[in-house]
Amino acid sequence: MKKSIIYILFLVAVANTGCKKWLDLKPQDGIIKEEFWKTKEQVKAAVFGVYSSMLESSTNIYGRTTYIPSLAEQLFVWGEGRADNISPSTFTSSDDLDLMNVNIQPVNVNANWRPLYRTINFCNTVIQKAPEVLSNDNTFTQTELDSYLSEALGIRALMYFYLVRTFGDVPLKTSATLSDEDITPLAKSPKDSILKQIVADLTAAESKAVTTYGDAASDKGRITKYTINALQADVYLWMDKYTDCVTACDKIINSQRFGLIRGATSNGITIDYNPNWFNSLYYTGNSNEGIFELQFDEQRLNPYYTMFSTIQNSPRWLAASDLMDRVFTVDFTNDQNYDMRGDGASVRAATTAVWKYTGVTPTAQRTFNQSFAHWFFYRYADILMLKAEALNELGQGQAAIDIIYIIRARGNALAATDLMPTATDKNLIQDFILQERAREFCFEGKRWFDVLRNAKRDNYQRLNILLNMVAISVPSNQQQSAQVKMQDKNAHYMPIYLNELQTNKLLVQNPFYR
Amino acid sequence: MKKSLFWTITPVVLLSLVVIVFSCKKTEIVQTTTDDVNIVGYLDKNPDSFSLFRQILERTETAAFLNAYGAYTCFAPTNSGVRTYLQKLGAASVDVADLNTLKDMVRLHLLEDTVYTGSFTDGKLPVITMYGQYLVTSVGLKDGTSSYLVNRQATIIKTNVRLGNGVLHEIDNVLLPAVKTIAQQLAEKAEYSIFVQALQATGHYNLLNTVNPNLAQRWITVFAESNQALADSGINSFAALRTKYSQTGNPLNANDSLNMYVAYHISDGLKFLGDIIGTATHETKLPQEVISVKLIGQDVVLNQDIFNGVLELGIKLDRSKSDLAATNGVWHDAAAHFMVKYRKPTALFWDVSSFEEIMKLPAYYKRQNYNFVRATEAEKPIKDHYWGWGPLAGTNTLSYIYSTSSSITNFAYNTDVNMLPMGLPNRPIYWEMKTPPIIKGRYKVWVCYRAQKQSSSSNMLCQVEVNGTLMQRTMNFTENRPTGTDAELEAIGWKRYIENTTNLFAARQVGTIDFTTTKQQTIRITPLTGTQNNNNLDMIHFIPVDENQILPRFRPDGSKIFL
Repeated sequence: MKKSIIYILFLVAVANTGCKKWLDLKPQDGIIKEEFWKTKEQVKAAVFGVYSSMLESSTNIYGRTTYIPSLAEQLFVWGEGRADNISPSTFTSSDDLDLMNVNIQPVNVNANWRPLYRTINFCNTVIQKAPEVLSNDNTFTQTELDSYLSEALGIRALMYFYLVRTFGDVPLKTSATLSDEDITPLAKSPKDSILKQIVADLTAAESKAVTTYGDAASDKGRITKYTINALQADVYLWMDKYTDCVTACDKIINSQRFGLIRGATSNGITIDYNPNWFNSLYYTGNSNEGIFELQFDEQRLNPYYTMFSTIQNSPRWLAASDLMDRVFTVDFTNDQNYDMRGDGASVRAATTAVWKYTGVTPTAQRTFNQSFAHWFFYRYADILMLKAEALNELGQGQAAIDIIYIIRARGNALAATDLMPTATDKNLIQDFILQERAREFCFEGKRWFDVLRNAKRDNYQRLNILLNMVAISVPSNQQQSAQVKMQDKNAHYMPIYLNELQTNKLLVQNPFYR
Repeated sequence: MKKSLFWTITPVVLLSLVVIVFSCKKTEIVQTTTDDVNIVGYLDKNPDSFSLFRQILERTETAAFLNAYGAYTCFAPTNSGVRTYLQKLGAASVDVADLNTLKDMVRLHLLEDTVYTGSFTDGKLPVITMYGQYLVTSVGLKDGTSSYLVNRQATIIKTNVRLGNGVLHEIDNVLLPAVKTIAQQLAEKAEYSIFVQALQATGHYNLLNTVNPNLAQRWITVFAESNQALADSGINSFAALRTKYSQTGNPLNANDSLNMYVAYHISDGLKFLGDIIGTATHETKLPQEVISVKLIGQDVVLNQDIFNGVLELGIKLDRSKSDLAATNGVWHDAAAHFMVKYRKPTALFWDVSSFEEIMKLPAYYKRQNYNFVRATEAEKPIKDHYWGWGPLAGTNTLSYIYSTSSSITNFAYNTDVNMLPMGLPNRPIYWEMKTPPIIKGRYKVWVCYRAQKQSSSSNMLCQVEVNGTLMQRTMNFTENRPTGTDAELEAIGWKRYIENTTNLFAARQVGTIDFTTTKQQTIRITPLTGTQNNNNLDMIHFIPVDENQILPRFRPDGSKIFL
């Protein structure tokens, strides 16, 4: 009997001490959401995490079906892959070729939207959880909260804007997915409601956003009021709301905080080229012209080295072989008269390498550890051109033409590319703007969206712009098929990635890809 | 006692309960590796759409092999399509339709390989059907929705259904094989009556009316001219056409120009428009005469070429009236009258260093040196200049050398040369160039270079091949021109091709070549002995054998002199 009492006491002692650590399920090396969202520093960390997510690298090996591209890569692929400024190399994967040849299938890795929805979820988390911190941290002010919220709202709008332009109808998720219990199937929302959400987010963000963070890197790398305005301008133009677009552009222009980096200046017959133009605008980045740029640096390199650099001998994309002849043109009589944006800036004409992200100077190429060229979401030249496009639609042709010539003069566009439209010739001005945008924003991920925006305007009045582009960009033996495919409006949007269809049973495939 | 009985029975009952519960559970062992169905299985799964096609497979005894292992592409017509088809045959049901017709129909819908829509082009499919006719694909637009069309007869309503033994495309109509020959199809159309009469008069009609049982020789492509096209050129009747061309009076004679006119419109091989534009030139039935093809914008244009700097406008093919498939080939509609052109052989003085790629670089062309580097074997920086990959990667550079002062180029034509390292074991193993178009005829070939030795012991003996024919003489990039009068030199195969008299610039006559067709010719220089970097090629002359081989001479400023 005495013995059994001792045993019982011993058991009780063991039960009271040993198992305590054992039953504690919190991770030893991480932090859980119940302990997060307590201080303003944590809010700041979460917001920076949103930006950081946009810089993530790709996973797995390019060319395999398991490849998941990075965001910075998808933005290029979606904006240029189907357009006429690039061409494949011998190292281009079949997925990329199919994309270029209007043969894309739902298994194509280029249709993977995962990087965007990941960033959207980070934004949703900030929007949902950051307000809770107000009650936990007395030093956290409403103004600071608003500023952080504007960043999350702005980036969410930006991501959805890419999605709606690339896929058309997409699932609209505005609440955070914090744990596995929040994962539910979600059907697609129509384009209009996505755009409505984008406009609402931007309106909310505009009133909350700051105009400056005090240093150039933050002003160009984080969402400011002007980033929101730039996005508004682009979104409104996409929605054919021209007056709103001009208003948004004017907010940026009238702030007088931005300008064009000096390029070419004409001194009578000789032309003076600013030798630092490429360096400050593209190589270093964060110039006075930049509005919102992805801040790659030595610690976080961009994916463009492997995509474009000819140092490694395996570039994934090259510039279209006739890019110089067709888009920039060459003055064969005077080699001192050239378009600054062409050879040595956008493209290296001799090797047809994509140069904007891989060049140090017009002839020297970046090494791997120099591959931190920024991705340009918006820069001042873009705002001017967006305004010109909206003005033209509003019947102010002359004002639009004046802006185009400002951009042309800066880059020294050659006379051969001057369409010389009259102020009343709306269609020719549209063409002129489109062509000038192809030169100014060559390889900046704008071309496809520019063409589609103009083609779809007024119920596809100018579908021919798109058809003519496809005639150039598709191999000759598939040209006719590709053109007819492009007359199907659903073909302008990418298929939903097969993996998404299998995991989210409420998704319905774009009918073009049935 | 009562208690102990309880304790005895309870474990037994419990144990037997446990046994009862577990013993009857049968383990399921998966014995298949996949649940995927085969082609027939898929049809069985969708009887609403395919019950009739399934019946046809059963009746033609093809169901069994389509359910077995293999790699097929099946175009499966839906029930409504099959019903329309049966109506056309005049058969009330599958069971009463003619068995052989049904067998042919099934064969036309099957390919012995998997073909996904990704490899569809504007032309024929890469694989022939089991029936022995190719299917043609295109894309059609209906109510704002585009879909693939097969043979312009059926629309694909569901693409790329991947199945256990191949891929299936659902189509809304049954495909019908072509039943008429090209000749019959043309003869049926009144608007081609003059062309058909020409075919008959020259004996080509029979050729176009036969289906060669040998698949490799069966296919023919014809570029037909409509009466309208001929009328546009002032030819309003067959009599007028005959008067214009038939100089011997006997159109059956192969040397008669009317016979040549018809032969020039026929080409071997099955070439749909999507296939034609893939190749720059196509041989015709007229020996050694080719039709060149270019895609200009969206137009397929025949015979648009530049000869001696003059652009000759070509003939368009009318897309809407082309790509008409027949049992023995395909025919297209040429929008205008065209005939082979007789051209007199003309000398080509080819400045090899004025190629397109360097001319696009105004900062370098006729200004300074430029290196075209091939970083990998796969790259091709210059369209018309190519070389066999040198094992030492760094030697794979073709340099454009320009200088008005350097002794290498100061007397060269346009003061520029092309330089390419060559020779085993490390440097490029051959140097191949495509010339501008040269008119057919007999030419002497002169290689004009600036002799240079990389080191005093360097040697660079080469042989030259033109279109694969080995030239009679060798040449050596390190050898200076011997001294002597023009006549003496020509006798031993040398000439001075520049104005200056220095013997560093030499032209070596490597041989004589017969060009049988007018086109871009290929010349290849292959090193035999020695290796060095400084092989400076300035020009290559192709001069008809009966013309002056010495003059003109060339000056650094790009002009010619005739003394």
